[in-house]
Amino acid sequence: MSVASLLAAADTVPAPDVEWSALSPFLVVVVGACLLLPIAGLLPRRTRVAWSALFTIAVALGAIGASAWVWHDLSRVGPTERTTVAGAYAVDKFSLFLIVVICVGVILATLLTEGYLRREDLPGAEAYLLYLASASGAIIMVTAADLIVLFIGLEVLSIAAYVLAGLHRRRLRSGEAALKYFVLGGFSSAFFLYGVALIYGATGTTNLVGIAEYLATHRLLDEGLLLAGIGLLIVGFAFKVGGVPFHVWTPDVYQGSPSPVVAFMASVVKAAAFAGMLRVVVVALSTHRLDWQPILYAIAVLSMIVGAVLAVVQSDVKRMLAYSSINHAGFMLAAVSTGADEGIAAVLFYLAAYTVLIGGTFGIVTLFGRRGDGHHDIDDYRGLARREPFLALALTIFLLAQAGTPLTAGFLAKFYVIQAVVDAGSWWLGLVAMLAATISAFLYLRIVLTMYAGVTDADVEVAEPTAEPVRRIHVPLGAKVAIAAALVLTIAIGVVPDPLTHASRTARPELVAPGD
Amino acid sequence: MTLLAAANGISLPGTDDPINVSQTVGFALLAALMIWAAIRVVTTRNVVHAAVWLVVVLAGAAAQFILLAAEFVGVTQVMVYIGAVIVLILFGVMLTQAKLGNDPNLSRRNWYGGAVVAVVLFGLLAFATIDTFEDAKLPEDRRMALPAAEVGDGEVPRTESNTGAVSDAVFGAYLLPLEVLGVLLTAALVGAIAVARKD
Amino acid sequence: MLLSQFLLLSAILFSIGVYGVIVRRNGVAVLMAIELILNSVNINLVAFGAMHGNLSGQVFALFIIAVAAAEVGVGLAIILSIYRNRRSVALDELDLMKG
Repeated sequence: MSVASLLAAADTVPAPDVEWSALSPFLVVVVGACLLLPIAGLLPRRTRVAWSALFTIAVALGAIGASAWVWHDLSRVGPTERTTVAGAYAVDKFSLFLIVVICVGVILATLLTEGYLRREDLPGAEAYLLYLASASGAIIMVTAADLIVLFIGLEVLSIAAYVLAGLHRRRLRSGEAALKYFVLGGFSSAFFLYGVALIYGATGTTNLVGIAEYLATHRLLDEGLLLAGIGLLIVGFAFKVGGVPFHVWTPDVYQGSPSPVVAFMASVVKAAAFAGMLRVVVVALSTHRLDWQPILYAIAVLSMIVGAVLAVVQSDVKRMLAYSSINHAGFMLAAVSTGADEGIAAVLFYLAAYTVLIGGTFGIVTLFGRRGDGHHDIDDYRGLARREPFLALALTIFLLAQAGTPLTAGFLAKFYVIQAVVDAGSWWLGLVAMLAATISAFLYLRIVLTMYAGVTDADVEVAEPTAEPVRRIHVPLGAKVAIAAALVLTIAIGVVPDPLTHASRTARPELVAPGD
Repeated sequence: MTLLAAANGISLPGTDDPINVSQTVGFALLAALMIWAAIRVVTTRNVVHAAVWLVVVLAGAAAQFILLAAEFVGVTQVMVYIGAVIVLILFGVMLTQAKLGNDPNLSRRNWYGGAVVAVVLFGLLAFATIDTFEDAKLPEDRRMALPAAEVGDGEVPRTESNTGAVSDAVFGAYLLPLEVLGVLLTAALVGAIAVARKD
Repeated sequence: MLLSQFLLLSAILFSIGVYGVIVRRNGVAVLMAIELILNSVNINLVAFGAMHGNLSGQVFALFIIAVAAAEVGVGLAIILSIYRNRRSVALDELDLMKG
């Protein structure tokens, strides 16, 4: 075959229409990730970490700007949705909202990582590249309109996250966390995939619009395959968000991973997994609500109770926060299980508030960990309020917000979930949620009281012989900015929630058919 | 050949549909080999043997793909899995294993729990499969149908080969996932180096 | 050929893989069991693709092969770095952290 005939043949390949403007947030992140390594390679070793962090933040801000632009475009043009590349990618306000949440998570984690890398004397740029790569996977997940695309987004997100968990190469626990996360994550991905395969088999398509249309127009007589597929899919999602009984990896991974990375995992990974769950299970499989609702209901109840109870009995602060994140996941799952619009809005609000809270909380936990990232036992927090009054006060605010204290972001997040659940008629679930919130409040109070408790004489005597002067904690600039921003946002969302509430209510996931 | 031709005239019990005996026999032999090899992968006490048994499963899967007229997937399976993944795994074994012989600690002592989970899962999946596709037959002509828009009356137009159709799909409708796959490979490359390199 | 025969083969391989992930103690051996599961998914997808006469199944299988290769690469890198630190890749010896 001659070159000319090959070229002629190339013209016959049906090239898909690409709407570049709608793809822009994703493109900004991917191009930024690709540029990061060459740029970092040119920088002198001493300033590499700081400049790479600045560059990463600029990329994330660029992606937020691009999303705001597309959001504005969508509001002005009229249609609330659009699609690019043959129905693989659905840009709607739902995805844009979550892209902003993801980018905020990336910015907070990057600010915290900068000081962490310098404190622990770890080499620079690849952590930021992995944040950006993982975020691009998350963006693909929140916009995917096809199960194939969703799965590949999930894998990009997860593979980068496995490596991030093992970022602290010299610390044994970090590697251990990476291996546990990898094995259980790979296992859960395989379950998810088997579920996708069964749904493809039952409906003949992997496109979410196609699946919804098929299920709406065909009454399946023998649904066994579809139901098995839905079940496996939910197991895969539940693993990723850390819902009980698929939560076993969460405490170990949160405890072992570098603290800034935990902030990233708890915000970005969770947001992406919930987005996938909402779009696939709640929207595309809405015809089978009676089948998936009980499963989600059960996982939600178990997560809320088990997360709260086990959190209270831990002695390591990072493990406590891991169980509390399971508890938070339970709240969001409860809202998902309603399958109603208010539930979706509640999940979005919760994710946004939670991203800010967790960024601030783990920012301070990172600092309290000191060099080596090892001082996370609850006893290490005793008397911190006297030595570090500002940090202790900030952590108190973040923890009280997580407990759901009024005038903070956490209160409305929990309130909207309970409201949505009760509106959907599940009084019991609402009661369980309130009970779980009360139990988990003990946990947050326990940490706060420990910080404000005085150091007893016995402690001083034990501490004296080592003669190790307790140095004040050095707070790097990045961490200062991150904690201050998280504090301002926590209070601001609590006092003036209307913009976020409004945005979360307009951001409903749509099913976008190709060619619309 | 006449024997095969005669055998191909056999019908499915209770129906008039002819079954393709040579394909079915081929499937059965491959499937038996694959299941045996898969069991050895998870039960053998020697990691290197497990890797070699895994090769058998992977090669069997490639043969099944070709039986299903997915020749491109089959060839990719051989090249990527047997050519690269297994080599990687063997490297991993050799870099982390002091002794290459039998290792009695390769599996946990109490395997009953795992066996129960596996059997229950298989029961559920088998029930779901048989419930939904009792005796659904695969079409004899396994070339892909062209998009519905081009279907005239009567005969469904078919692609010439599935490989060409796959390439059209990958660079057409599935262009975005393909690009994201590029991001995935970049992230995996950087990540693997970041984790495994020495300071 | 029947569709069910491929699906049942796939279900058997899937169950064997799950068994392997649960009972294996060695990181590399668990990785091999995960590969078994991914292969069973591929058999499913290609068989469904032949059944429905559309290409999604084959394309998806191709993508999964690529993803699996990337996953193995990263997984072995993690296993290698752990081995360097502690000279063992046994999963249940990783007991620094306890619940």
